[in-house]
Order: sequence, then C-alpha cells, then structure tokens
Amino acid sequence: MSLLTPYSKVPELNTATVLLVENEEELQSKLADAIVQCEKEFNVNVRLARKLPLPVENKKTRPRIDLIVFIINLLSERSLQSAESSLSHLHSDCFLGKVCFLVTDARCGSHTQERMVSVRKLAASHQCPVLCAEHRTADGVNAAAVRILNILKVSAGMSPIATTALYLSSLTRCSVTSDLEDD
Amino acid sequence: MDAQARSVLYRIFRRIPNRNIENLLRRWNCLSADQLRALDYTRPKWMIVEHVISFCEESRLSLKHITNLEMIYHIETPDQGIWHACQLTEAQDDAVCVELTQFKEQFKAHLHGVIRHISIKMKKHEDEAIWIRIAWGDNFNKPNHLKPTYVVHHLHTSYVFISNLMAKHKIFLFQALVIATKHGSIKDGHLSTKSLTAMRDLLLRRYQQVFPNAHSRILQERNSLPSHPCIGKEHREHEERRHQMACEVFGHGPTPKLETAVYRLETRYRGNSNYTLSEKEEFLRGVVKFSSSSLLESLRHCVTSGMAEGPVTPLLSAITQRGRNYFVITDKGPGVSSQASAQRA
Repeated sequence: MSLLTPYSKVPELNTATVLLVENEEELQSKLADAIVQCEKEFNVNVRLARKLPLPVENKKTRPRIDLIVFIINLLSERSLQSAESSLSHLHSDCFLGKVCFLVTDARCGSHTQERMVSVRKLAASHQCPVLCAEHRTADGVNAAAVRILNILKVSAGMSPIATTALYLSSLTRCSVTSDLEDD
Repeated sequence: MDAQARSVLYRIFRRIPNRNIENLLRRWNCLSADQLRALDYTRPKWMIVEHVISFCEESRLSLKHITNLEMIYHIETPDQGIWHACQLTEAQDDAVCVELTQFKEQFKAHLHGVIRHISIKMKKHEDEAIWIRIAWGDNFNKPNHLKPTYVVHHLHTSYVFISNLMAKHKIFLFQALVIATKHGSIKDGHLSTKSLTAMRDLLLRRYQQVFPNAHSRILQERNSLPSHPCIGKEHREHEERRHQMACEVFGHGPTPKLETAVYRLETRYRGNSNYTLSEKEEFLRGVVKFSSSSLLESLRHCVTSGMAEGPVTPLLSAITQRGRNYFVITDKGPGVSSQASAQRA
C-alpha cells in the first residue's frame, strides 16, 4: 500500500503545495481559488482530491506536498468516514505538523455536535489542529484561505522566524478536554 | 351559439393569461380587425370573454370555429394535461409509403364507421406533427366537446402521443391508428409526462446524444471553466470518465424535462438472512418513485458527482435507452442476481 510521504521529494524554490481532500468536492474548488488569489509573496500550488490514496499515475508530476487539509462537512456522515479512511493512507511522518482538519457547518443542527466531538477526538489522537470555517459566504471562504495559508507557510518552512511545523502543531493541536466528553 | 360552444370558450379562456389572448385571437383569424381592436385587454377576464362571445354571435360563429380555437391553443401550449406515449409495432411493407391524405381518410373513415356520433379534427403543424382532436359521442348522444382527446403523431415514426383518453374509447382509437398507419399492432409505451415537448424530445431523440467511442476526450471542451494553472486535480481522469459515462446515458446539454420515474417492485426480499421474511415465498411489493423538476438532469448530476456509482445501472439507463418511465421489476428466479438490491442508486 503506497503511503503519502512528506519528505520523499525535493522542495521547489519559493513554492508551497497544499492538498485539499474533500469527499463532496464542493468547498475545495472555492477554497483553491481563494488561496491562489490571496497569496502574492510566494507560489502556491493547490491539489484537489476526493480521497486518499492518490492515483499512482500522478506520482511523477505531483510536487512535494507541504500541507494536507481534510475538509469535513459535519452535515454528512459519509464525509467524516471518508476522511477517517483516508488517514490510514498517510505516512506517520505526515502527522508531525503537516496535516490539519477543516470542518464546515459546525453550528447547524444536533448531529453536527456529535460529529464535531468525534472530529476533535480524531484530531487530538493524531496531534493535528482543527479549523472551523463558514463556507457559504465569500468572506468565510477567504478567511479560511488566509488561515490555511498561515499554517502552510510554516509547514513549508517559509516562516522567517525559526518556527517549524512540528513546533506549530504542538501549539495548535486539538485537545479533547474532559468536560467536552460529558456533553 | 349554443351552451356547449359557450362552455368550451369559457374553458379555453379560463386558463390563458390576459396578455396571450390577443395573439391567440389574431391567429384564430375569425374575428374582424375592428372587433379585435375593440377588445380591451386590461379589463377583467370575464368581461373580455363576454365581449368575445358577443362578437362571435355577431359573426355567427359556430361550435366548429370554437373547437378550432381550442385546437390552436393546444398546439401553441402543448405542455398541459398528462400525455401518454404508445408505440406502433409490426409495420407492414407499405407503412413507409403512407402519406398524409391517405392517413386522414382512413382514420376518419374507420372511426365514423364504428361510432355514429363523433367529431374529428386534424391539423398538420409545421414541424411535421399531425394533431388530432376527437370529441366522442356514442350511438345515442352527440359528441362531448368538453372532454376531447388529443392525439399527436409524427408520420413514419412509430410513436403516438395521447392525452385525455377514456378507457372505453381506447380500443376504437387504437384500431383506427393501426389501420391508418398500416401497422400490425399498438402497445402502451409506459411513458407518461406532463410535458409533450419532453416526451417528444426523448422518444424522437431530439436531445444531444453522446455515443461511446475510443477517444473519450470529446467532452474536454466542457472544461471551459478557466482554472488557475496552479490548481491541479488529482482525480481529473476519474472525473472525466464519470462525466463521459453520465453523458452517454443522459445526453449532453439540456435534457428532456421528465418529472418522474416509477419502479414497481415485485421481488422477494433479499437481505440479511436473520430476517424471517426471506424464507417466505411471498413477494415484497413496493413502489419506488423518483421525482424532480428535471429528472434526467438530476440523475446525470448524481453520476458526474460520484453519488451514484458508475457504470450507470441499467435500471436508470433504461429511462433514456428505452424511452420509458414506468418499470415493473420482477424476480426471474433464484439464479438471476437480484435487481431489487441494485436499487441503491
């Protein structure tokens, strides 16, 4: 089973690549447009996928991936299941600061609260941050794009202060506190 | 003008919005230019209808003219009522030589022969469709013009579209059609919609079809969305393949606007073996109905977005390939794979 490894390719100069994984393929294209529009200082490549593993045919042409974002829509159970099954196709090195979760529709309805708890538990067990985004307005998409770019800059090693991805992830990783489990 | 003519006129105008009345009357060409100019279309509808009736009485128009008006109205707006499709089979050798006058004569002759009181009107529309309006009576009663049957047929095709036909008149109409078109028999097409245009587009294949070929890159021109060069899709080939499969079944571009598809199940329940129903010999009867404002468009989207897995199941592709929207699914025996469980999509 081929796993996606973070360090198997050589990085390109002044370039960072983010992989957006989403089962519904709705938000990822809007987010991709926002990300490439926002960033002016360095080149950003965005790869869109539905799930992992990625097709083997693209392996040669695919650049080195600096950040993997799993987009989970809390209104759909399948979204969460697909993200969970994709996680098993990542090399464990990825979890040292190169994976992040983005959830949408966190405030709609009651099922979303239960799924939010499962997402947070999943993220905590993998030491990854969880971002919440609002995807129905252009402002929400832009805000999410800016946040992802901030994390991407650090994961790709472009942050001027010596912040590494690992250090950032230890600051931003999700934690599940005991009062959350009582909910 | 007698009471029946008046009621027919009321019924026609009841459904038309005021702004379309003028065009209709002009096309009808039975009222004089002065009379048309005298009508004030800003008045309430009942006033306009009263005016029209008084003009008709002035000009001594009869029921014949009124039914002509009704027919013109139906030809202009064909998407009302429920239409059913029927298919002519067993074409005889000279079926392709049937021409319009011959068809008209034979059709009318047969029906006048079997029913004493009947009123038939035929019109040929510019797109080669023959419209037939039939008001049925019987041996004792005059034709009832308030419940006419409309039939549309394109000569030399094997489809007939029928609206508002009562069961007791079905056999007479079918016999007349079979004789007039020189076919052996006619059968129910299992397709019924509200929109005649959708039905015609589907059966006469007037939508943009896509045929499978070795170079499945034909549909790349749809990727006209200018996508940024920095954005790359990992599953691009999968997406294109799904889109190709969907378009092969449901066509490219605007699809005929069907509203429903109904599957009647007469199958045995096949599920987890700890459910006792599977041991009985009884059928599990059920009806699965898909409905949408544009069904084929929605099904095509289901396949392109990956919600329904490809290749498209023959249960769904039969809608376009066979031109039906009513299916009865039965178990053929224990050896055949269950079609009922394939209804996941």
